[in-house]
Amino acid sequence: MKQIKRLLRMHRIFVVQELKRMMEYKGDFIVGIIGFLLGQFFNMLFIWIIFSQIPNLAGWTLEQVVFIYGFSLIPKGLDHLLFDNLWAVGHWLVRKGDFDRYLTRPINTLFHVMVEKLQIDALGELIMGIALICITLPSVAIEWSFVKILLIIIAIPFATLIYTGIKTATAAIAFWTKRSGNITYMFYMVNDFAKYPVTIYNNTVRNIITYIIPFAFTAYYPALYILTGENPFFNIGMTVIISIIVMTIGVIVWNKGIKAYESAGS
Amino acid sequence: MIYVENLKKEFKKTVKAPGIMGSIKSFIKPQKEIVTAVKDISFNVEKGEILGFIGPNGAGKSTVIKMLTGILTPTSGICTINGKCPTDDRKNYVKEIGVVFGQRTQLWWDLPLRETYGVLKEIYEVPDDRYHKRMAFLNEVLDLDSFITSPVRTLSLGQRMRADIAASLLHSPKVLFLDEPTIGLDVVVKDNIRKAIEYINKQEKTTVVLTTHDLSDIELLSKRIVMIDKGSNVFDGTIPELKSKYGQIRELHFETDTADVSSVLAYSEHFGFCKDDVSIETEGSSVKVRFNSSIVPVSDMLSYTLGKINITDISVKDADIEEIIRRLYKQGV
Repeated sequence: MKQIKRLLRMHRIFVVQELKRMMEYKGDFIVGIIGFLLGQFFNMLFIWIIFSQIPNLAGWTLEQVVFIYGFSLIPKGLDHLLFDNLWAVGHWLVRKGDFDRYLTRPINTLFHVMVEKLQIDALGELIMGIALICITLPSVAIEWSFVKILLIIIAIPFATLIYTGIKTATAAIAFWTKRSGNITYMFYMVNDFAKYPVTIYNNTVRNIITYIIPFAFTAYYPALYILTGENPFFNIGMTVIISIIVMTIGVIVWNKGIKAYESAGS
Repeated sequence: MIYVENLKKEFKKTVKAPGIMGSIKSFIKPQKEIVTAVKDISFNVEKGEILGFIGPNGAGKSTVIKMLTGILTPTSGICTINGKCPTDDRKNYVKEIGVVFGQRTQLWWDLPLRETYGVLKEIYEVPDDRYHKRMAFLNEVLDLDSFITSPVRTLSLGQRMRADIAASLLHSPKVLFLDEPTIGLDVVVKDNIRKAIEYINKQEKTTVVLTTHDLSDIELLSKRIVMIDKGSNVFDGTIPELKSKYGQIRELHFETDTADVSSVLAYSEHFGFCKDDVSIETEGSSVKVRFNSSIVPVSDMLSYTLGKINITDISVKDADIEEIIRRLYKQGV
């Protein structure tokens, strides 16, 4: 408990530090916000154009498809907002030897790397996700219950950790190969499949995103439960189990990787 | 306090033929080779000691320091501080050490310096009252006040180094590792930093391990040196010991009006010196002769020289530590 309290406190301190850092360069900060708002506007426009062309998809109504799409942005956005710095491990922290710094400090290295940066761009995904859910909510006719709300609250952090776990495992490959940014990118891009109902894909794609790179559990399965109330044991239960498995693999690969870390000459 | 025994570190390296074809070949079928950066290093450091850890470039100094600071995992061997091993419990181990890598910084680049100390306070869990006392002390020793509100990116190298040393001392570590803390600094700043290190060592009995290529750092700060080369120990002892073991070099300085001194004197032919045992430098009328006094005694050298040429002013000097180390590095012992 004391441990968790300390981690939360450290997290808050790093976030505050990061906000101060962003505001240090006012011009960049303001232009960043303007660019971000413009980007979100075009994104919305694009999604509206695409979905207005497909009124019905493998038995799913337009509203249901948009709802799943919107829900998929929530875990993705949370991971992106909070733990984006993992990308830096595979791109330059290991290759340039800058990872040394984390190893000389009395904090868990994975935690330290994860929370050091805050990716404000991700707020766009979160806002968009919430907006799409709100817009489609009246027309998808969801039956609400206390248990359902509780399960949704449980599912979201676990779905987020599926992203984080996959990023952790693939970033940690850099401890051996010095660079793994592209490996992370390759895995990460599979998540585009998970934004749509998996029933529209053939069996191969469906099995890959369910069991191998399990992004389907970040969006489709939990959203399916919300829409239909069916099979909570699989749709939510498996999300939790898969998330724990993926994160465990991530941590194991990370810890092994640290032992193989070679730093860089100085 | 610090205990290092038979420490060894190997790296795997991919060998590539030159050019793009070499890169493609290596990409398809990489050839691995094992490089031994640290072969076999052993030494101990007592509490409160300042140890000078030296060796030529590529000798393995940084690799040893990185193993001692928990950054690298040794291939084999033991390294402990107060009986604690960095690979067993890294988090508790690093609480007791401070590290400065002169060529890197651990400060938050974009923010005022003060913010870095604020975060380090939380990372090392320093209580408020201790933190204020500590900052006052570090400010007094390293004179941080004039730039503590400036963003780190605007600091000069000298200021940045002082700030980095302060950052490594904030949590009152028992051992301080300094890897080239005076690199690229002017004489005045070097002097201030040496004084600060000495003061902290005296005041708090902080054990210091210092690597540097500036031998005056070592001469002024440390009583004992450990020298390594090609991943193995070369010398372990005090500076006087080093001088008596390898310091048989003497320097003869004199002024003369004789032209072409080296061919007139012809030391090598007369005394039978080897190539490394004697050298002559001339600059106008002043001449500097370095020779190995274990082969030819100073008195013989003097009387021979005085008998050969016309000399106005003459003096004999002990070789300085720099000269000894230059010879050791060159010969590779």
